[in-house]
Formats: sequence, C-alpha cells, structure tokens
Amino acid sequence: MVLINLGALSDSELRYIAQQEGFGDWEDADRDDLIERLQEKYEEEDNPVPETKGSGTARRYLTSLTDFGMEASSSDELPGVEKLPEDYNSTSVHLLIRDPQWAYVYWSVAPAVRETLDDKDGCGLFLRVQQQPEGTGSPVVFDIEVGLNDNEWNINLSDSSGLYTILLCYRHADGTIQQLAASGSVAMYRPYWADHYEEIGAEADLFNIYFSSLVTRSGEPVDNQIIRNIARIFTEGESHAKN
Amino acid sequence: MPKTNYVAFILNAHLPYVRHLEYPRFLEEDWLYEAISETYLPMIRMLNRIADDQLPVRLVISVSPTLATMLGDEPLQERFLAYLQKHIELGQKEVQRTASEQREYAEMAQEYLNRYQSDLEDFEACGRNILESFRRLEERGVVQLITTAATHAYLPLYQEFPAAINAQVDLGIKSHLENFGRMTRGFWLPECGYFPGLERYLKVKGVQWFQCSSQSMLLSPDRVDAGNLRPIRCPNGVAAFPRDYELTSLVWSNTEGYPCDPRYREFYRDIGYDLPMDYIRDYIDASGQRIFTGYKYCAITGMTNEKAPYVPSVARDLVKVHASNFLYNVQDKARRTSKLVGEKPFFTLAFDCELFGHWWYEGIDWLEQVLRQSCTDACTTEMTTPSLFLETKPNLQTARPAYSSWGVGGFSSTWLDGSNQWIYRHVFEAIKRMGELAERFPDQTSLKRRFLNQAAREVLLSMASDWPFIMYSKSDAAYAKKRFEGHLENFNVVYSNMCKNAVNTEWLVKAERKDLIFKDINYNIFRG
Repeated sequence: MVLINLGALSDSELRYIAQQEGFGDWEDADRDDLIERLQEKYEEEDNPVPETKGSGTARRYLTSLTDFGMEASSSDELPGVEKLPEDYNSTSVHLLIRDPQWAYVYWSVAPAVRETLDDKDGCGLFLRVQQQPEGTGSPVVFDIEVGLNDNEWNINLSDSSGLYTILLCYRHADGTIQQLAASGSVAMYRPYWADHYEEIGAEADLFNIYFSSLVTRSGEPVDNQIIRNIARIFTEGESHAKN
Repeated sequence: MPKTNYVAFILNAHLPYVRHLEYPRFLEEDWLYEAISETYLPMIRMLNRIADDQLPVRLVISVSPTLATMLGDEPLQERFLAYLQKHIELGQKEVQRTASEQREYAEMAQEYLNRYQSDLEDFEACGRNILESFRRLEERGVVQLITTAATHAYLPLYQEFPAAINAQVDLGIKSHLENFGRMTRGFWLPECGYFPGLERYLKVKGVQWFQCSSQSMLLSPDRVDAGNLRPIRCPNGVAAFPRDYELTSLVWSNTEGYPCDPRYREFYRDIGYDLPMDYIRDYIDASGQRIFTGYKYCAITGMTNEKAPYVPSVARDLVKVHASNFLYNVQDKARRTSKLVGEKPFFTLAFDCELFGHWWYEGIDWLEQVLRQSCTDACTTEMTTPSLFLETKPNLQTARPAYSSWGVGGFSSTWLDGSNQWIYRHVFEAIKRMGELAERFPDQTSLKRRFLNQAAREVLLSMASDWPFIMYSKSDAAYAKKRFEGHLENFNVVYSNMCKNAVNTEWLVKAERKDLIFKDINYNIFRG
C-alpha cells in the first residue's frame, strides 16, 4: 500500500476525483480548495469509529491498482444467477475483532423465530457480551439492547484480553431470557508490556530495542494506539526522572 | 569487513484475479499488464544481472496463486502482447512528438519506448510465461520463491472458519508446487495479517516461516527480548519474522521515504490526462475515459500543478545516493542495536513488489544498487533470506506474536470498517454453506464434482483481501463490490441447485470458462 499525494495530482485528475466524490462545483472550484476538501473528506472517512485511530492514519491506495471505474461484467450473464439476498433464513450471531478496543458484531433472526418473539414494552433483543479473562478471573458480562430491526453493532471491548463470546438473546415479557444464538469465541491476549510499562519505561536499552524498529527516522511511531501509549508513558517517565 | 547484520527483502507480488475475456478490452486487466511491464519484467532483468555477476545476495519474492494463474493464462498473455504493441506504437509517436514539440521530454519518451521494446523481447524469450523466468531466477540462486494464501484472503477475520483458512493455505501451497515445482518454505501472510494460532495451519503443511507486522512483537503476550531485531519461534516451531518499521519507512513513507524526493518521477502526471483528446484517443479507453498510458515526463517537484521536467541522469545519481544512505542506516542501526541484543540483528523488510518500478519508477534501480553496494568489502550487511538464516540453526526465543496486520491502526480496521463490513455476512454464510455441501455430498464424481468444485472456487475468490481493501480505499469500489457479489451469487446457484440435487450444466460450463483458477481444486477441502 502507498499513500496518495493529492498535491501531486494534476488539476484534471483532482476534478475527476472531486466529481466522483459528488462535489457539485467540481468544475469551478480552485485547486487548493479541492485538495483541502478532499483531504477533509478522507480524514472523516478514515475515522468511522471514534478513539480507535490516531493522528497517523492516512488514506491509502493499493499499489498497482489504479481506479479505472470500469463496469465489471455482470454475473447475471450466467444463467440462473440471482442477486444476493439481504439476509439469510437463519438465526446466528458473529463476532469479528476489529482491534483491541472494538469488535464488529452482526446477526440475523430467521423469520420463523422472529414470529415467536413478543413486541411489547420491556421485551426485546439484546447482545450479551461475555468475556472470560485470561487465568482464573470471573467472567465479565454486559448486555447491549438492540432493536428488532438492527442487525449489526460495534462493541467497545472493556479489556483487550480473554475469550470473548457474544450471545444473541431475547427478553420475554415475563422476564425470561431466551438465548437465540451464540457466536464463536475469539481469544485476545493482553500484551506483556501493557502490564509492565514501568519495566520498559525504566530501562532505556529495552525501550531502544523495541522502538528502534517501530518509529521512522523523524520519530513518528508505527500507527497503533497501544504503541503510542507505551511511547507516551516512557516519555513521561523520562521527564519525571529528569525532574 | 565481516558481516555483522542481516537484511531480508521480502517482496509480495500479488494482484487479484481479473480476467474478462467477454470484453474486447477490460481496463482493470491493465493492473496486470502495468505490473508485468513496469515491475516484473524489469525486476527479472535486474535480478538476472545480479546473477550474471554472481553476487552473493538473495531476496524473497512471494508470487500469489491468483497472479501466477494470470501470468500463465494464454489469452491474458496474448492481451499483454497487444498492450505492449499499443504502447510501442504510442512510444514511437511520442519520440517524434517530443523531438519537435517538447524536447525536454524526448529522452524519457525514448527511454519508455526502449523499455516496452525490451519487455516485448523478454516476454517472447520466456515463452510469454514469466513464471518460467521466476523459476530460472530461483535456480540461479538469487531469489527464493514463496507462496501466500490462495486468493490472498485476510486470514484474521476468518478465525471462525478453520476449513476456509485451511483451504486458503493448502491451495496456496499446492499452487506453488504446481507452478514452481518445489515446496515453499515460507508463507507470505496477506497484509501481514496474523492471529494467534495461525501458525498451526502452516506447520501441518510444512511451512517453516512467515513474515508479520512491526507491532507483532511489542504487543506479544510474552516478553520478547529482542523486539523486532531477531525473528522468534512460535511455540510450535514455525519462525516469525517481524517487519522493521524504521528501515521500511525509509522507502515506504509518503512524507519522508526516498520515493518522495522531488527529483524522482511523478506517478500521477501522465500524457493520458494531459494531451489533447485527438492525439491520445487511440491509447485510452474506447469510451473516451482518460487513463494512465505509462508515459510520464514530470518530476514530483512538489505540491503543485506546475511540474518540472524529469531528468533521468539526475535521478540515476540520486538512486545511488539513496541506496548508499539506506545501507548506511542499516549498518548504523546494526551498530546501535547489536550490543543490546547480543547477537547479529536480523532486519526484515517486507514490501508490495509493485511498489518497485510501477509506483516508484526508480525503485528497481535503487534495489539493484542496494544489492550491489551490500557486496562491497566495506559493507557489513548480508542480504539473505529467512530460509538461509534458519539453516544456520540460530538460537531463537520461543514466543507468541500478537494479533496484528500492516493496515491502518495495526489491526483489522482496513478490511473491516463501515465501507466493507457488510461483506462478511455474505461470505461467512457462503463458507458455512460450502461446508454443508461438502458434508452432504462428499466424494462426488463427474458433473456434480465439477459443480461443487466451481462453488469452492467462487467462495475462495470472494475471500480475496483486495475487495474489502478497494472498498475501503474507494479506489475502484464499484468494481470490487460487483466482483465480490458476483462470486457469491454464482456460489448460490450451486447451493440452490444442490439443495434440489440438481446441476445447472449451462451455468457450470460458462462459469468454469470464466474462472480458470485452481483447476485441480477438490471441494472436499471445505469439510470440517
């Protein structure tokens, strides 16, 4: 992957991109204005989930794949092909880990199951997030209420370690809880250094071993929130020591 | 001077499977033709020069199964020939035009024309199949070839489906064996995507090592003593080679990497956009849509529309300076860190192959200079491969890499964000259904077997990391969406027919002709 350099584009290319991005005044806007607005647009798009991205995020283009904008041959040229359904006739829930702070969960409820669910106050679907910590700790469980018409959710993970499972549940009017589906379990491991900041902070050699390979020549660390945290804590530790 | 540190260049040559013979010309196929002309053939020429001079250097190239299939595909080879001929024709016009109208561009026009003509000669010389050229380079000892996942799937997001991961690994390895006649020892993790336990799938197939992201060591659940300065062994013995971000970013950074130097060639300024339509019409899309032609005459210059002419001699000198600077930084880092780790540091540098030549025009010359300068007596850096390093039986720490990738944020956000997360609902269902089909109809023969095999192909093609990435980058999102949906719509034809115990033969014949990949696939691989 390489980063696109908007300033390097010709005026005609910038106008083409602006047109594709739906800028109404793409023909008339001046060059600097187009660059600024495209950059703003890309920055917004790069941050769909707050708090998970650092300032180092940037729009990336895949090497060797130029945007030709060509219409692909349609698979409906083959006999018997139908459009993808919006949903499938199944009841299931799936968990995908986006990063140590956020997971993406999607689910579906089969029409036959949906018919059995009440639609009254106090009833409803919810996601039960179960986290079994590493070692022998007690499980952490919390619920997230979702609507009957929802089918996906971004979940903030309370702790980036342990075994995570999501249950799709329904609370009936009488208070009973029915489990409709369970996701597969995903194991997350807590970084050793997350619990040993002081060790890496106190030992310059250790810090150098790691960070010599994680920052650019100008000192910009690799794009990762945890690594930025460690760098910050080390830097603070250094300034405390000097004081 | 004795060699005191190791550098391993690992280049990932990969493109998604794009083959649209139903159209007289299909622009996305140019991804392949541009890569062959601007990266693969020049890279092969460069590495043959290195081999001719018997320089003791090695690097690793991962050739993805989708790319290998396209490189070996006769109709695509013929189309590449037509592409070259068209570019040579344009080059001849450009040599004349620039000689009279823009003399400051004349040298570059001739240089491009010469390159396309060399491409044509070399392409014919290898029987139009450059896999053969890669094979010969490996025999000559300058390259080690490795493989990757069958369709370059981003594996951490498929943890719920071990059979799908296994299919990606297994077919990647079989494809390599078929294309290159030998077992792969390394395995390129697509997008450097690693999740705990992935090494189990590799170990059972005989893989000895993989590369992983820069942050995989610092975020490990274990205390990795040497950070990224040495590889580690996973608990099952497979070795993990973490990228060195500092050295990589000397090249791969859009703010401070060598390719950003204003004297290098500007990628984005191309006569396909700049010259009058009457002149360029025959060399862009028939619809009149302007596209890159490959003829680019400007230097990067700066953040301006007014670009200076590119001066090849200046860039050639700069390449030597930057190669020298790169080795200076490697050796300086080795000096700084070898005492800390108590062993010779090992720096892993992983790049997309197409960065060199295609995006960074001077990149292949730079790489050649790095390889050559590393062979001088004064240089303490040894260019090697992970496999050769492991043969020395180094003392490596056993530890667990962390879940990570080389994407934005270091995890899975690039392949799982608001633009592309919808795809998993569909592809997961298809994987589940493929497993069901394999369980319900095991060991079929004849038509049903072909039907089920085609279903397996469609599922695998839908898993390519390229589709969610293109959606994320919005570089050609409509095409990516259409391709993704098309593969799963095709899969659903098989699923719905097999549920009725029927085979749609007309669909099957056409679908097989469309996707000529993994010809020996066995759908039973999706059994749990």
